[in-house]
Amino acid sequence: MKVAVFTPMPPERSGIADYSALLLPALQARCEIVVVRRGAKKPPRGTDLCVYHVGNNPEAHGWIVDALRRTPGLVVLHDFVLHHLVAGITIGRRDGHGYLDAMEREGGVVGRLLGHAVLDKRIPPLWENRPEDFHLAGEVLGLATGLVVHSGYVRDRARAAGFVGPVSVIPHPAFPTPEAPAAQVEGSPLFGTFGNVNASKRVPQLLEAFARVRRLHPETGLLLVGAVSPGFDLDRRLQRLGLDGEGLVREGYVDESRLWALMRACDVLVNLRSPTMGETSGTAIRALALGKPLVVSDVGWFSELPDDVALKVPVDDDEVQTLVAALELLTSRADVRAAMGAAALELARAEHGLERVADLYLAAFERTAGGDAVSDAVLHEVSRAAADVGIEPGSADANEIAARLGEVELGG
Amino acid sequence: MRIAVCRPQVPFNYGGAELVSDTLVEQLRAREYEAELVSVPFKWYPGTRVLTQAFSWRLLDLTESDGRPIDMVIATKFPSYVVRHPEKRVWLVHQFRQAYELDRTELGQFDESPSGRALRRKVQDLDRVALGEATRLFAISGNVAGRLQRSTELVAEVLWPPAQGLDYRNEGHGDFILSVNRLDRAKRVDLLIEAAALEPSLQVVVVGDGPDGDRLRSLARDSGVAGRVRFTGRADAAELARLYATCFATYYAPFDEDFGLGPYESFLSGKPVVTTTDAGGPLDIVHDGSTGRVVAPEAGAVASAATWLRDHPDEAAAFGQAGMAIAAEVTWDHVIERLLS
Repeated sequence: MKVAVFTPMPPERSGIADYSALLLPALQARCEIVVVRRGAKKPPRGTDLCVYHVGNNPEAHGWIVDALRRTPGLVVLHDFVLHHLVAGITIGRRDGHGYLDAMEREGGVVGRLLGHAVLDKRIPPLWENRPEDFHLAGEVLGLATGLVVHSGYVRDRARAAGFVGPVSVIPHPAFPTPEAPAAQVEGSPLFGTFGNVNASKRVPQLLEAFARVRRLHPETGLLLVGAVSPGFDLDRRLQRLGLDGEGLVREGYVDESRLWALMRACDVLVNLRSPTMGETSGTAIRALALGKPLVVSDVGWFSELPDDVALKVPVDDDEVQTLVAALELLTSRADVRAAMGAAALELARAEHGLERVADLYLAAFERTAGGDAVSDAVLHEVSRAAADVGIEPGSADANEIAARLGEVELGG
Repeated sequence: MRIAVCRPQVPFNYGGAELVSDTLVEQLRAREYEAELVSVPFKWYPGTRVLTQAFSWRLLDLTESDGRPIDMVIATKFPSYVVRHPEKRVWLVHQFRQAYELDRTELGQFDESPSGRALRRKVQDLDRVALGEATRLFAISGNVAGRLQRSTELVAEVLWPPAQGLDYRNEGHGDFILSVNRLDRAKRVDLLIEAAALEPSLQVVVVGDGPDGDRLRSLARDSGVAGRVRFTGRADAAELARLYATCFATYYAPFDEDFGLGPYESFLSGKPVVTTTDAGGPLDIVHDGSTGRVVAPEAGAVASAATWLRDHPDEAAAFGQAGMAIAAEVTWDHVIERLLS
């Protein structure tokens, strides 16, 4: 089977590029894979299946959606909310009508009117303020002949959005852990959080919770790694919470080797966010591979992490208090940290092992590439047999046959 | 309690799986259960016929019969477990092996076209759904349970079927090694014939018939061993028991077999078993140097193992006795208690 893959690849700086770089060699051992050059609109000749990696970044994925429009295929949906992507490939290309159509497809007339308001700059861009209210995944779902997603959460949202094709839930593969030693960072235990520093990563709540924990446990440390998002005044928050002196260590954007060294130095990884765009966290996957306990927000993919590897913090009025309790537990109980770390390692090995993930991808490829032909042949034979004994389309008997076919996933 | 035992039937074809389900019905009836065999013809080719024939099971209504409820179904091998029932037990004899470990072997069925590959996946998906519905899931061997877990992540309890009721006895250490098997390629009787060709003193009796029979007879003739390899065809119960009683060992080395009743019958006759490291199910109970010989799947290794057992009657008798202790534990009382639990 020849599979053409449309994906960002390194040196593009994107989590999905890293993902594909990790996965593709394992897939190439299983079938013929052609990585399509960036910007191409058509697959190579003789392709049996096109696979499109779609995320929410228009710079990285706009050209991939363009190709998907020409040749439908299997979509690997890395984010469910695609509002930013759609805005980028419509408004960003001076195609306001395209944006309005996308808004209307999802939100009806109200959606179209809101789209007009965005174009007229009467309201702030929805992709910055309310992306979760208008996911704008409809066009991509409509073009997909099958989906690969990384969580039950995204599968359920795709189904709720009306997608009826085959959906494979395939875990994110675990990254191989480099041998490099841990960085030297003070704090016992040391909590770490990685990624953009902003409100959606719940940094204000984390800082407040950590400040409270540190009053009782002054030996603890918090490592905050990542670029500060525009408009987020980190320094003032640290000053107000008394964290500008000690206890908190800051690093900006770091390269991959430094990232691993810093993560290895941490005793616990904190990975919070709300709202979620349905994404999987590459940082959390790295933490599992390192055998680190996790503290996560109880949303989306993060909710599906097993309880023995992650303490889950609901995003509600008690969020800070729950976070304090989680950090205190992990501060005072080294045995709990050790047990969660061991469970994380096992999860990375068993569930997120690269070979297993590649096998699941191959199954998804094979289901999608020839699945319609098989379903059509089954339906043809069953309906012909039904007709032979006088069962009319639309009759009660025909409906029962259709229901039974659906039960065992043999329906069209 | 009314129980329907479900099995597909390949017309004019009777083997171990049929024997197990027939005997299960008999044994249930002997324990005062109302048991009935439900059988549907099965043809797995060409193309999507494997799915449409499997689907025919889904259209059966086995929840009641003649106005009285059927309390339980016990499905056995693919595709009988596609049947619907609120109390569906599965005693898995095997899945559709062409969709799994036999794929891309000479015994495979699905080609490399996108539709061929997708058809194989559809069979796997059907298994996942249909077996996932079972209220209890058993497998006839560790090999079958292992394949199931690898392919669907479903976990089955291993429940070995007892051997058929023959007049088992041991009349001493005879001069021939016995093969009791359906004659098809997967049973690898040719390996034993090739072993006989390598070891001029080896005497062999082959019981059974099947599609590979003519080829095996030709192989024996062409190898110059026709005088030492005797084909009996199918043997009746008395003749089979006599052959077990008078051989020095049995040979049972299919490739990656689901279960294999042969070793149990051999053990109940006090005779050790020669098998191979890739035989699958038999390895649950045939252990090298304990209940038989487990060797590489090569004619030379089989010849050496067979002659060693022939030339070491005390060890052969001890291995047979150790095997008998294992086989004696496998009873219908235990099987039925677990299946209905």
